[in-house]
Amino acid sequence: MKGSVFERLPNKKISRKGFVKLCGIGMASLALDNALLKFAFGRDDVSTGRVVKRIKGLHDLVAADGIDPYAITVKAVEAMGGMGRFVKKNSVVLIKPNIGWDRSPEQAGNTNPYVVGALVDMCFKAGAKRVNIFDNTCNDSKRCYENSGIEKIAKEKGANVYFVDDWNVVKAKFSYKSPMEGWPIYRDALECDTFINVPVLKHHGLTGLTLSMKNLMGICSGNRGLIHFDIGAKLAHLTDFIKPDLTVIDAYRVLKRNGPTGGDLADVFDMKTIIAGTDPVLCDAYAAKLMDKDPLSISGISQGVKYNIGSADIAKADVLIINA
Amino acid sequence: MKKLILARRFSQVFFLSLFIYILWSTGRTASLFKIDPLIAILTSISERVIIPGIIFSIAMLPLTFIFGRFFCGWVCPMGSIIDGLGIKAKNRPLNLSRIKYYIFGFIVVLAFFEIQIAWVFDPLVITARFISLNFIPSFTLAMDRAFIFLIKLLNFYAPLYDFYRGLKSSVLGVKIYYFPHSVVTMGFFLVICAFLFITKRFWCRVLCPLGAMYAIIAKFSILRRRVDECGRCMKCKINCRMSAINEDMSYKKEECVLCMDCIYDCPVRGTGFGWPVKAAKEQGKAAISRRDFLFLIASSFLLSGFKNKGASGAGKKLIRPPGVLSEREFLNKCVRCGNCMRVCPTNGLQPVIFESGFSGIWAPHLVPEIGYCEYNCNSCGNVCPTAAIPKFSLARKKEQKLGLAYIDKDICLPWSQNKECIVCEEHCPVSTKAIKTYEEIIGGKKIKKPYVDASLCVGCGICQNKCPTRPERAIKISP
Repeated sequence: MKGSVFERLPNKKISRKGFVKLCGIGMASLALDNALLKFAFGRDDVSTGRVVKRIKGLHDLVAADGIDPYAITVKAVEAMGGMGRFVKKNSVVLIKPNIGWDRSPEQAGNTNPYVVGALVDMCFKAGAKRVNIFDNTCNDSKRCYENSGIEKIAKEKGANVYFVDDWNVVKAKFSYKSPMEGWPIYRDALECDTFINVPVLKHHGLTGLTLSMKNLMGICSGNRGLIHFDIGAKLAHLTDFIKPDLTVIDAYRVLKRNGPTGGDLADVFDMKTIIAGTDPVLCDAYAAKLMDKDPLSISGISQGVKYNIGSADIAKADVLIINA
Repeated sequence: MKKLILARRFSQVFFLSLFIYILWSTGRTASLFKIDPLIAILTSISERVIIPGIIFSIAMLPLTFIFGRFFCGWVCPMGSIIDGLGIKAKNRPLNLSRIKYYIFGFIVVLAFFEIQIAWVFDPLVITARFISLNFIPSFTLAMDRAFIFLIKLLNFYAPLYDFYRGLKSSVLGVKIYYFPHSVVTMGFFLVICAFLFITKRFWCRVLCPLGAMYAIIAKFSILRRRVDECGRCMKCKINCRMSAINEDMSYKKEECVLCMDCIYDCPVRGTGFGWPVKAAKEQGKAAISRRDFLFLIASSFLLSGFKNKGASGAGKKLIRPPGVLSEREFLNKCVRCGNCMRVCPTNGLQPVIFESGFSGIWAPHLVPEIGYCEYNCNSCGNVCPTAAIPKFSLARKKEQKLGLAYIDKDICLPWSQNKECIVCEEHCPVSTKAIKTYEEIIGGKKIKKPYVDASLCVGCGICQNKCPTRPERAIKISP
């Protein structure tokens, strides 16, 4: 073919020295390229978990009842001593709601958007520099974020709502033997000054109820189905790894059957309660009690007690109940 | 100033950008094929139904009667890509333009025998498929990787990371789409582009059946080229990308795509386009001879004997999009445009290669291990241009059964190893759970063992998608 690529190639013979040189340059550039790529993509970060001083609230646990989810969330946190107690000026806050399912707020598959909105408002009022919100969803993330209503409300209030990046993870490292050893955890869950866990109280086929400890699965990447085996110990270790500063359980609308997905409004009833506390195990135990379940029958709570992550003894705890 | 050429180029760039934009912004893709008469009319004929929106495509026909093949020169995205790539290509006279009429005739005849193969050679479909399955996935992947590289290089510099996150929820998309078999569609498109080595616009001159359809109408179009003054330099004839100009300066009206090159090629500016002052006698040969036409009919009769050989029975192997009931009707109506695969939020709809026989190539099927059918979503039916995937309301879509889940007890963790799992039950979107559990007490521990309630299962495949066993999933959907 006239004017083809082959015709334009130099018709020169290459010397032995030249050939060796060419190979050398090729190999060197490959190695450099490899090193560069490894630097950019292959960094395997390891973390030993969040280091925090556990801040106590005015009470061990506050349960607020009322009609307006926004107002009772504010009341519950204020009774704990106010958001300023947990959020320092110019700090980064992570709010971790449950946005796992492509469900509307009425179907109670996800955290109530107004509860999230109230927490975002309080964080900014306390002087937070940045409020991050994300969840590793089970259904398609865009649909979950939109249909749960959380993205819209939180963005209006100035929070950063974003999707998880599976390349931006750190590997969990425990000082003790743990089944969660080496599990990939999203970096932002660890690199925050305050971690606020905002689960929704609902039924779950495997664990009976899904609560604050189960909600932490949303900061895990990887093949999360495997967490289900020996789930109690894994959730207890995960909770110890993250050490949430504040747990706010949304029990405003509660899915009592066919969870965690739900979908049928007949399965939802209104409890109109918000539980706030600093001890995740105690919060979970109280929520289980509200659902007439023995807290220790839920594997996360019993394992949490066993590993001394928190207490499930509601009788001994200082519980404040507010009726708005 | 070559004003008319500039206008034509602007129009081409505009429509190509619009085409890509519509495909990119998922959800609005349905409007796209409504202006394609080849697809709309022939599918209507072959399926004996009126395709919604066919009126738009019919409206293209009178426009062609007025202006000629303006669509090919000014609108067609395939033509624009070919023109763009072929700027440096050589222009050679070819006398093969009859071939496209055979292709077109063949498609029409088969449509009357209830076989719809318009999609094989329709330029809009080919371009849409290329953009949806190749261009957008590779482009977004490259952007994504570039951003990840930069973000890590700058040590998670917050403004850049936020910008990337913003892009992800808007332009880039949360999910980078991936189609394992898309190399075939890419190859098909590249072959068409490679025809540029033969001549400019080889595809449009020789093969395009949509072009042929327009050409038949354009033969009688009102707008026409006139030559007022001629120095017989033959520049216009040599440069004509459709080789539409004859030796005696008359021209084949059905071949002209109104690219306007000849106006500016003429050194004496002696040519232009205009409305006829008085009726002129038609010139030129018939597009297709009577003998050829009879041959075409006869050969099509023979071919109709092979009608859907591949589809019969073979379709049972594949999980089709929601609402598809008859495999034969689906394969006939589906134009393989790739719109459904583009909008599927989980990337689960994938093109078939040969799993359902040759006639099923590129039609969509669900691959649950890549992505499941989102319970609250009916996008695929909404964007399907020919209603091969029926357009259902959300409530009706939720009732559609794509298949049935079954559990392989040899792999399933609770059944084979007495481990806690039931991830399938957790994700099952049916509100009363199509996956139920037995409770068994083993070693003092309650183990829940899943089983499928066939009457409730919709076969969405989320259980197979989320099942943690590797390499094989313990729960699978059978169509």
